[in-house]
Amino acid sequence: MKDIVEKLIQEKLAREVQAKTRRHFIKSCAQGMGGLALSSIFMGCDPLNTPPKKTAMAFSERDLNPLATLAPPLAPKVKSVIYLHMAGAPSQLEMFDYKPELHKYDGQDCPQSLLEGKKFAFIKGTPKLMGPQADFKQEGESGNWVSNFMPHFKNVVDDVAFLKAVHTDQFNHGPAQLFMHTGSARLGRPSIGAWATYGLGSENQNLPGFVVLTSGGNTPDAGKSVWGSGFLPSVYQGVQCRSKGDPVLYIEDPDGITRDLKKSTIDAINKINKEEYAKYADPEILARINQYEMAYRMQIAVPEVMNINSEPKYIQQMYGVEPGKESFANNCLLARKLVEDGVRFVQLFDWGWDTHGNIREGSIDMGLRNKCREIDRPITALIMDLKQRGLLDDTLIVWGGEFGRTPMQENRGNTKMAYKGRDHHGDAFTMWMAGGGIKKGASHGKTDDIGFSGIEGQVSVHDVHATILHLLGFNHEEFTHEFQGRNFRLTDVEGDIIKEILA
Amino acid sequence: MDVLKQLIGRLHPLIVHLPIGFIILGLLLQWYDRKRLEYQKAIPLIYLWGGVSATFACITGYLQYLGEGYAFDSVKWHLWSGIATALFSFLMYAKLKEIKAVDFLSKVPILGLSILFFILISFTGHQGGNITHGEEYLVEPLPNSVKSALGFETFEEKEIVLSEETWEEALIYEDVIKPILNNKCVSCHNPKKTKGALLLHNEEGILEGGENGEVILANYTKQSEIYKRMTLPIDDDDHMPPEGKTQPSKEEIKLIAAWIDAGHPFKSTIKDAGLDKKLFASLFPKKHDYDYPDKKIAAASQDSIASIEKTGVYVNLISKSSNFLSASCINKPAFTDADFETLLPIKTQIARLDLGGTKVTDSIFKKLIMLPNLTVLKLDNTAVTGEQIETLSFLDHLKSVNLTGSNFEEQHLTAFSKFKALEKIHLYKTKIKKKGVQSFNEGQITIDYGNYELPPIASDSIVY
Repeated sequence: MKDIVEKLIQEKLAREVQAKTRRHFIKSCAQGMGGLALSSIFMGCDPLNTPPKKTAMAFSERDLNPLATLAPPLAPKVKSVIYLHMAGAPSQLEMFDYKPELHKYDGQDCPQSLLEGKKFAFIKGTPKLMGPQADFKQEGESGNWVSNFMPHFKNVVDDVAFLKAVHTDQFNHGPAQLFMHTGSARLGRPSIGAWATYGLGSENQNLPGFVVLTSGGNTPDAGKSVWGSGFLPSVYQGVQCRSKGDPVLYIEDPDGITRDLKKSTIDAINKINKEEYAKYADPEILARINQYEMAYRMQIAVPEVMNINSEPKYIQQMYGVEPGKESFANNCLLARKLVEDGVRFVQLFDWGWDTHGNIREGSIDMGLRNKCREIDRPITALIMDLKQRGLLDDTLIVWGGEFGRTPMQENRGNTKMAYKGRDHHGDAFTMWMAGGGIKKGASHGKTDDIGFSGIEGQVSVHDVHATILHLLGFNHEEFTHEFQGRNFRLTDVEGDIIKEILA
Repeated sequence: MDVLKQLIGRLHPLIVHLPIGFIILGLLLQWYDRKRLEYQKAIPLIYLWGGVSATFACITGYLQYLGEGYAFDSVKWHLWSGIATALFSFLMYAKLKEIKAVDFLSKVPILGLSILFFILISFTGHQGGNITHGEEYLVEPLPNSVKSALGFETFEEKEIVLSEETWEEALIYEDVIKPILNNKCVSCHNPKKTKGALLLHNEEGILEGGENGEVILANYTKQSEIYKRMTLPIDDDDHMPPEGKTQPSKEEIKLIAAWIDAGHPFKSTIKDAGLDKKLFASLFPKKHDYDYPDKKIAAASQDSIASIEKTGVYVNLISKSSNFLSASCINKPAFTDADFETLLPIKTQIARLDLGGTKVTDSIFKKLIMLPNLTVLKLDNTAVTGEQIETLSFLDHLKSVNLTGSNFEEQHLTAFSKFKALEKIHLYKTKIKKKGVQSFNEGQITIDYGNYELPPIASDSIVY
């Protein structure tokens, strides 16, 4: 026992030394000198000779409750966002962007004029064009094109607004995902969900404001930074929940520890942390205090909201969920439940969309078709389910990848590939949005005859961000955070609201 | 010699503050010493200095008038009142010193003279300020209503609106560009106040340009001064409109650019100028389609909001651009009909009320009519059956009612026909077993019964 106590004391001393920075040292020196000088001046005035008091940092309301709801500056159209990201980049040419002309050129060499000055991830030399590998039909009253890879989607096609000519300036997964979610291809910026919870807080005090769900398999190439908080306080980063096993790791009571004991432990830790904050004024300490309290509340609320078994059978069938597994379908149902419970931002990542044609799973005609089947029913069900509960008017759904794919068949290393595949392509790809404030059945932007470049209504990633923020009630140009001496925005110095898809 | 004259002249704005200081000091001391009579000897001396320095000020002022080429008309009031101030200062000296020459003043009370003197120096100073800073210097920051009440001409921002049907027939200059310039530029570039010798209130002025030459180069937006100035960083000295003034919006700058690119036509219609509809999107009338009524109301008191939040009900502004509130029981599922009383202090402000998942019953309806601006009502997952829901027809703004997962009964559906503004009702998972969407009340109301299905299809199980 004595050993342990001694170890703890050693640990405490070591931590204290680590926590002291040069600034603290200089500050303490100055205060010490000041104190010395003062005490010599007032010698004898103060019988107890008390040392000069340090002024403690005051907590602001927002510091203590960083997820408290805030009103947006402008009238909002939606309260929550569900962002569906197909990591790996889905092929727009087999899903929504129908290019009949491309059939004619199937197997022909790609014109040199298109290749000049372009960089591709894998394509070398002169690749051959490849016609659409799916059959398309105009669906719904809007008559927007949907392929037979997405047979259920036609039921909701009139609820969504397509962006057919989105472009990005990144052609590798990691940077492109970062760009898509933080507005910068380099690390360090907050993600959209972090901005949203920073600006609006979150209504349900028992749940995190920003939840991330992945469909198992690989995590996004860009890592957890795609739901990170960047330079915003880390309390605004996405909380990753799992649809299999414990929804959130390490929040269950350990064996032999009762809920009450845990509560008093957390209270004691937080008390110490508050004292630490008063001393060092490091906002990260506040984030830690809040995380402890949130984790305690989440213990009760999260298992409940993350339990898809409590949903009726017909709802489970509608989404096509597989209880006990990690799947995109489960996550779609969870997304609805989370939004229903007031979570501000739900981020879904699916994986396996990188269809180069090097392996069967990564082929356009087979792998992609399987991926489409895995998302088609859940996404359609999600939109229908939100609609029937009256939640779609308050929710924005965004669907997309980090870029699109080439109209050319990939010829990695200038060879013929084993399967049909397409390379990364950022010049023109499809995204869609649905929900509050979105013009139902709209389609904005056009690509050329082979789907290589946008020729009309081109929108950038910044424009997409500006539109998301606009629907949440922000002017993206005024929603800033000061960091390292300048104001930062999600949209950097760009971005126009895409008015064409707004109701 | 001319150089010296001009130089000394330019010292005028500096020197004038000497007599002002002396004279105000003298007046203050006179008032302070009215009973104590301790400084009587000092006061005349101060006025003497005041008079001497005022004389210097007059001389430098006159030199400045000569050197800087002011019109006599614009300086005459200041000039004469300045000389009068100098003389008056000597007069005050003489009066206090009881010099014989001013015996004629012995009957006039000193208080009257002091007040007169104070008015005179204020008037002189103000006239001088008007010459340096312009006549509207002090008035400019005032709100337009105060300005026009004071008799000053105001440049009010007028909203620019184009109709979505006839936008192509509108005149590009007259209906779009001119109003933008009127709103954002003309308050400083008009015939009365012509900064930089530039007029932007009419075609001639725009074509004529200002002291730095032409402001528009047909078809060359990026080289056109008017565009360049608007797109400079706001803290650049050459940025227009200057920092602190209302800035043109991004859309307005784009419109001006498009107009210059199209050869800045003054007479043609938008159609003839060949401009894209997208450019004008911000000018089309906006439909108010938010979760609160289209009107202005007073803000709720912070104290009442705080005391309601203490009970566990979330109260928040819907947006900072209006005073309407959203109240939500998401963290208070134990909310009952009786708890409704706690919301009454903010009854006019509540536009969005979320009672979903609470313990409220049908008796809530009679209470809800106390919320005159209620627009969005959520009663999902409650025990309400719809009994007495017709009382809600008194609410003029109620747009959407969510009864998902409640015990709502079909017999109460007819009550909705009396609702004035209702657009949407959600009745999924209620006692009514229907499916899909139904149009109600001649298409005014959409009822969504939900129960959407997504039947299995063959391809669901095909794995490639």
